[in-house]
Amino acid sequence: MKSSYLFKIIGILVVFGMLAVSIQAFAQDEEEGGGTIIFTKPVKAVIFEHKVHLAQGLDCDSCHDDPFEMAAGTAEQNPDFTMKSLYEGKYCGACHDGETAFASNTRCTACHIGVKGYNRLTGPKAEGNGHEGE
Amino acid sequence: MKEERSKKPAKITDEERRTFLKLGLKITGVLAGGTVLSVVPLPEEARALMEMEGYRHTKYKPHYSMVIIQNHCIDCERCKKACKLTNHVPDYGYRTTILEKEVITDEGEPFRVFMPVLCNHCLNPPCVRVCPTKATYKDPQNGIVMMNIDKCIGCKTCMAACPYNARYFDEEKRAIDKCNFCWDTRLSKGEKLTACAAACPAHVRIFGDLSDKESEVYKLVFQPDKIVWVLRPECGAKPCVFYMND
Repeated sequence: MKSSYLFKIIGILVVFGMLAVSIQAFAQDEEEGGGTIIFTKPVKAVIFEHKVHLAQGLDCDSCHDDPFEMAAGTAEQNPDFTMKSLYEGKYCGACHDGETAFASNTRCTACHIGVKGYNRLTGPKAEGNGHEGE
Repeated sequence: MKEERSKKPAKITDEERRTFLKLGLKITGVLAGGTVLSVVPLPEEARALMEMEGYRHTKYKPHYSMVIIQNHCIDCERCKKACKLTNHVPDYGYRTTILEKEVITDEGEPFRVFMPVLCNHCLNPPCVRVCPTKATYKDPQNGIVMMNIDKCIGCKTCMAACPYNARYFDEEKRAIDKCNFCWDTRLSKGEKLTACAAACPAHVRIFGDLSDKESEVYKLVFQPDKIVWVLRPECGAKPCVFYMND
């Protein structure tokens, strides 16, 4: 009798938790139009800020579904998601060609935030050695 | 005044002139029949050139050194990972790491700079000078600053002396550990590159023989139209890791 009561409470808590997470995710999507994307493949890590690009006058159609699928993480699964492809005009290179936007082979650290940047954004990681900031 | 400077002092031989140049002074005139010399300090650029000349003819062959193309570094830290795996570096220490700073451009925009650092394998290494047991020494052939852990007593004086923070105390070895350009793990086995240079995906770490005029490091370090710098030159350690931007 007592344990079923406990299960009910846990069940309710889980439902509320999921709801809160989904609301938060939804709110973020709405507010920032996709939010912050962090790519970790093939190198850790590259940042893409949706709001920075929206502020440039771009809209969703500018990049979705070509060159990027709507679902985050899709491009990263492709073996050709590399700097070489960017230089050939694929992915970010569609605009970052030196004419529409700064060329992909310049200003490396504008997008590459590194392992340090990644750790700052995602919090302390178990795999780090605690000396990352040195 | 300018005319006076361009006049060639009569009784000064080229050799004497060179001796003064080495002291960072330029002879500008001879007064009172050669008993009084007029000298001025060399301009900054000329001094820098003289400094670089010191690297051109060293006694080491091969003279292992590294060029770092700083603005190519994206802090992916594959170098660090490769170094750890190759040289069994514990989590609390490092042989090489990446430093980070935020700088402001002339246009007022902030941007990140990543700076890889490692032992500079100095021509005049302060760590070697202070070691009481000669556990750390500069290899007479290839110029690598080596560790003989059997002689190391763990006094850490070398750690204090190093201007580049390139040394740590290895708790397992009970001795100081540091970068040796992968001498024991790779170079002595016939590999041409250090683990970090081989792992770099962005052509940041260029490793090679500075005594070989055909090597990439030689060509990068001595190309006349590029700015090449070393870290903390004021220490006088004559570091052999060179930095430049693409």
